[in-house]
Amino acid sequence: MKKTLGLTLALTMTLMAGAASAADKVTLQLKWVAQAQFAGYFVAKEKGFYDEAGLDVEIKPGGPDIAPEQVIAGGGADVIVDWMGGALAAREKGVGLVNIAQPYKKAGMQLVCPADGPVQTEEDFKGHTLGVWFYGNEYPFFAWMNKLGLSTEGGEDGVTVLKQSFDVQPLIQKQADCISVMTYNEYWQLIDAGYKAEDLIVFNYSAMGNDLLEDGLYAMEDDLADPAFAEKMVKFVEASMKGWEYAIANPEEAAGIVMDNGGQDENHQVRMMGEVAKLIDTPDAKLIPEAYERTAKALLDQGIITKEPEGAWTSDITDKM
Amino acid sequence: MSVFRPNWQALMSLLASLYSLTALPFTESMSAASSLTVVAILLAGALVSMLQLSFAVQTAVLTLSSFGAAALLIAGLTDAFGTATAGYFAALIAAWLLGWRLVTVLSGDGSRGSEGRGSTLIVPALFGIWVVILWECIVRGAGVPFVLLPPPSAIGLRITTSTSILAADFKQTVLKAVLFGYVVGSLTGFLVAILADRFRFLASGLLPIGNMVSALPMIGIAPIMVIWFGFDWQSKAAVVIVMTFFPMLVNTLAGLTATSEMERDLMRTYGATHWQVLLKLRLQAAMPFIFNALKINSTLALIGAIVAEFFGTPIVGMGFRISTEVGRMNLDMVWAEIAMAAIVGSLFYGALALLERAVTFWHPSYRR
Repeated sequence: MKKTLGLTLALTMTLMAGAASAADKVTLQLKWVAQAQFAGYFVAKEKGFYDEAGLDVEIKPGGPDIAPEQVIAGGGADVIVDWMGGALAAREKGVGLVNIAQPYKKAGMQLVCPADGPVQTEEDFKGHTLGVWFYGNEYPFFAWMNKLGLSTEGGEDGVTVLKQSFDVQPLIQKQADCISVMTYNEYWQLIDAGYKAEDLIVFNYSAMGNDLLEDGLYAMEDDLADPAFAEKMVKFVEASMKGWEYAIANPEEAAGIVMDNGGQDENHQVRMMGEVAKLIDTPDAKLIPEAYERTAKALLDQGIITKEPEGAWTSDITDKM
Repeated sequence: MSVFRPNWQALMSLLASLYSLTALPFTESMSAASSLTVVAILLAGALVSMLQLSFAVQTAVLTLSSFGAAALLIAGLTDAFGTATAGYFAALIAAWLLGWRLVTVLSGDGSRGSEGRGSTLIVPALFGIWVVILWECIVRGAGVPFVLLPPPSAIGLRITTSTSILAADFKQTVLKAVLFGYVVGSLTGFLVAILADRFRFLASGLLPIGNMVSALPMIGIAPIMVIWFGFDWQSKAAVVIVMTFFPMLVNTLAGLTATSEMERDLMRTYGATHWQVLLKLRLQAAMPFIFNALKINSTLALIGAIVAEFFGTPIVGMGFRISTEVGRMNLDMVWAEIAMAAIVGSLFYGALALLERAVTFWHPSYRR
């Protein structure tokens, strides 16, 4: 009886709250677990930037077995954080994703090898084992290998690819000669594991000009055709970028907010915030067309997509900010 | 009235086909004429099947009308994704009801002798075929997004075009990890059970551990095995060994106690040694238990190897393919792997069941 009473009360409260603030609901699906990589969104929510814009935003964290493209295709989200590679591949499969904003100007992906290992330069990859994440994160790597003309089928003249777990174990246990890391996350796990910066040879995708666009915001084409939804997205992106600005200016506080939302290890989050700030550069969320072209071309070259994508990004939303 | 024997499936089928006339044509690419042809086939099939006819004629009429209509309905979906009208689905339901009627006719009235031997295979086969037909028509007719559920035709196409990928995955997962793990796990489980049966302290020590290990989540073991045995098939085989060892141990131990006091007394009066009793009496009696474990292990091994491949792995194998192709939205490839896993699992299990029959022919459950 008590329980039902409590439930009824809770229900009426939520209903009343809903009636009191007729805020527009937006569901955001993140690409990965709650961490400073998404600090801007958490800050915008906690600091009330979304509320000011009249939005009621629900942030759904992702994980190793969650493909944001699938969540949005199934109607579980209005907008997702995704990498361009996965989004374009999904677009070709009939999920009409459109990039509406690109908070991350640069990519944070890199391949690292121990300095005392067999791999010193790109020429040394032949015949060695390289660790890569899959689940939509493999496209930049395969585009790069394609550019180098290396087969990924193993053997003497190719490279053996290892589907890497989302940690740095394969390198520590010498299962792979090189592994993939993000500048803001796994790289620091290696440093924490006792590696020094000079012990590692780093191949940074952005520095090599092999980067494919990472964390952008994507919505469905059909939804965007509705002016009310597009308007909602303008507010959402604007408020999110305010959140990013605040997070870049106050990394400590931002890390704290991420911790409140399920982040792990505060020190790590503060460091991550610092690295993420470098990738965001200027928080205007504008997509750089050259970067998009490069991404699309790399995907085309390796056959991940079969035809030139049309209308895969729009500047309508960011132009109105 | 004796000429005309109504039954509910055919009557409902009539109603559904009549209703489908209200929404012609059925899809964007179907002409009104071809839609009418479908309805005509359905109406004729439903009416004729209700006449007093011989068994053979009745089955022929039902087969032709239900599958003929279904074939035309599937053909009508070409280039008409997601444009099916209510009439289309009504016609589909009408065809399906005639299929149902066919199964009813084939099964006879349930008494022995009224059904042929073939119907034990034909009826489930018909059911399976209709599941596939309905899946195809509903997914393509209603326009369900490909990334949520691909139609069976796309999955079939993927199976035929990616045989080399499927063969490589089969080799990596089944022939290396599953087979090795299954044989080693079951064999060691069996040998340890023989020892534990001889030396009781082993049994009392091992069984609690066995129960604990069988409760371990596989997802917890798999990454640890990758750390211990590297990322290739050896670590997957290790997971399979862990999963198959204890069911075998527990079942064999239970089987060895299956003989009665009377039979063991008889062996003692013959002056048989422990090992002679074991070989000639107790192992024979334990065979149903051992085969039970082998059958359980066949499914456990396949599941274990596939799930273990969700973690660090070379870029080949059924589990790897399933987990990564989902991320790439190639759901047809995922389903192709699932279909292969289902077929492999069924064959594995079926072969064991046949072997069991041959070995335990004396068991009361096989008496005719």
